[in-house]
Amino acid sequence: MSSDAGTATAARAPGERLPRLASALGSYVGFVPAVLLLGLCFLVPLGIVVCYSFWDTVDYAVVHDWTLGNYRYFFSVGAYVSTMWATLWVAVLSTVIAIGLAFPFAYWLSRYVPRKIRTPLLVLVIVPFWASYLLRVYSWLTILGEKGVVNRFLHWTGLTSHPLGIFLYDRPAVILVLVYLYFPFGALTLYSSIERFDWNQLRAAMDLGASPLQAILRILVPQIRPGIITAVIFVFIPILGEYLTPQIVGGTGGVMIGNLIVNFFQEAEYTRGAAISLLVAGFIVVLLFVFRKSLSTKEAYGA
Amino acid sequence: MTTVPPLADADSRPDTAGIDLRGVVKQYGTQAALRGLDLQIRDGEFFCLLGPSGCGKTTTLNLIGGFVAPTEGEIWIQGKRVDQLPPHKRPVNTVFQSYALFPHMSVLENVRFGLKMDRVPRDVSSERAAQALGLVGLEEFGSRMPAQLSGGQQQRVAVARALVKRPAVLLLDEPLGALDLKLRQRLQIELAQIHRDVGTTFVYVTHDQEEAMSMADRIAVMNGGRIEQLGTPEEIYRGPVSRFVADFIGDSNFFEATVEGAVAQLPDGSRVACAGGRSGAATLMVRPEAIVLHGGDGSIAGHVVQTSFLGSYIRIAVETPAAGAPVIVALRDGAAVPALGEGVMLSWTAADGVVLEPGPAA
Repeated sequence: MSSDAGTATAARAPGERLPRLASALGSYVGFVPAVLLLGLCFLVPLGIVVCYSFWDTVDYAVVHDWTLGNYRYFFSVGAYVSTMWATLWVAVLSTVIAIGLAFPFAYWLSRYVPRKIRTPLLVLVIVPFWASYLLRVYSWLTILGEKGVVNRFLHWTGLTSHPLGIFLYDRPAVILVLVYLYFPFGALTLYSSIERFDWNQLRAAMDLGASPLQAILRILVPQIRPGIITAVIFVFIPILGEYLTPQIVGGTGGVMIGNLIVNFFQEAEYTRGAAISLLVAGFIVVLLFVFRKSLSTKEAYGA
Repeated sequence: MTTVPPLADADSRPDTAGIDLRGVVKQYGTQAALRGLDLQIRDGEFFCLLGPSGCGKTTTLNLIGGFVAPTEGEIWIQGKRVDQLPPHKRPVNTVFQSYALFPHMSVLENVRFGLKMDRVPRDVSSERAAQALGLVGLEEFGSRMPAQLSGGQQQRVAVARALVKRPAVLLLDEPLGALDLKLRQRLQIELAQIHRDVGTTFVYVTHDQEEAMSMADRIAVMNGGRIEQLGTPEEIYRGPVSRFVADFIGDSNFFEATVEGAVAQLPDGSRVACAGGRSGAATLMVRPEAIVLHGGDGSIAGHVVQTSFLGSYIRIAVETPAAGAPVIVALRDGAAVPALGEGVMLSWTAADGVVLEPGPAA
């Protein structure tokens, strides 16, 4: 806001230093939309959420009394705490699997696939984004459900005589769908960092006595560490906040912390919902802080 | 020199030292990269594989290093058959064209890497790595990162990293290709010195004939997946066996000729001296510095179309009806230089007129 006003005064005020000042301020004008957007759509709402989390709800109305009660309440209910741990657990497992699948894919793509064919393959990775998120999650119902593809196939082979419900409405289904949803993020991020790798280095490592696995772990992985961490961040953090996937394919067994937040807000317990939201946000901030050093390549190469 | 312990297995032949390639064929699909290569490289030799791109020299190097498997044939190193062994099980290390230093490790860590993979204790490996760095004159640079070194220094780190494992054979894949001329010449001297110091067999791939000539004990000139000629630099320069080799190594003049004994008849009817060796239609090859500029018996007439001062020698081009292209003559600095357009007589001694199979320019 203040920079906006400053530009205006500088532009109108007469004087010799005026053009310099104007151009100096002018170079910041480009930031104004971003600052406005960030301020109005992020910082202000965040402030409101912070306040809410320390306020109280009485008879479905928010009362401006400062209290730690919302946080205390969350940690006092065993089911909430265990949902928190389960969310963390699901997010870690889904991330590990998604990255575990994305790494060999990115490795294979950048090492063995001719450049001409890479772009179509990368497009194939992105193709799912052309369909809406909701549609992609719902489509899993037709695969895993009682009348779904998996059950029909099992019935056709004669392995089962009646449809099984075990494929849906529990954590495994949630993890499967999350892996499917977030694999492209991991694959694209990893590919862009592996692509620049000089494969002669792996040959050199093997020439010097390293096994293929040792060469990958000691030579390739340390050099693409920033890419791996970015991939983990792109996959892990959105999964922490997921609520549609567990709601659609997770059933009661697959509840995640996002569903708790939604429930609180739907039941007009805004202050408790705000507290949980902030717990998740705080956790993510801590996580990014821990990873911030590993994201710098400069340090690793000493150049 | 490492002594190979006597091995009980039937594959070992302790009598053959060095590298032995027997009937090696390498096919890529229907394309033959090597067509039946037989090659013996002596223990401790500085050996050069020389040829244009696509001649099979790099394939040969990769076969010795174990990065590609032969389609047919056997590869022996120090009396042990290795063609079925993976790279890290062969007594061979490689200096790569792009150096392939590990950018996330210090120079010392780079050099130590091979020893670490062999589980050499840390104190021993650090000492040997420091020694290897000393060998290439970089003992002060152990704690630097590769990105902080110049191209020439990176190259020397790559040599130290490969030599630290004391391989029986060091393979060098165009290691000086990325450097400028001055630095290349200096490193040629250094590499030859390092070779004398360690006594390891060096197998060096290059397309640069000067590089090969300046360092190698012996050179194999390759063309189209075959060895065209094998010998010392001098043997190859003075007695090329084919027009390809003569053309590839040094400058040369070619004449279509009909040879009888030690006399060659050129298209314009003049008769010149030659070394003989075959009769009938042939290609006569004469090096520019072997030609002298005075007349007499057995000389050809022409006129000067170009003179160039090149520092250490003066190059003149002479147009003559005896040859299709202008004949290049290299005159020592200080010799009398004919004027442009002046008529000259060219001659050479019989030994300098090398008779080759007839054939068009390669």
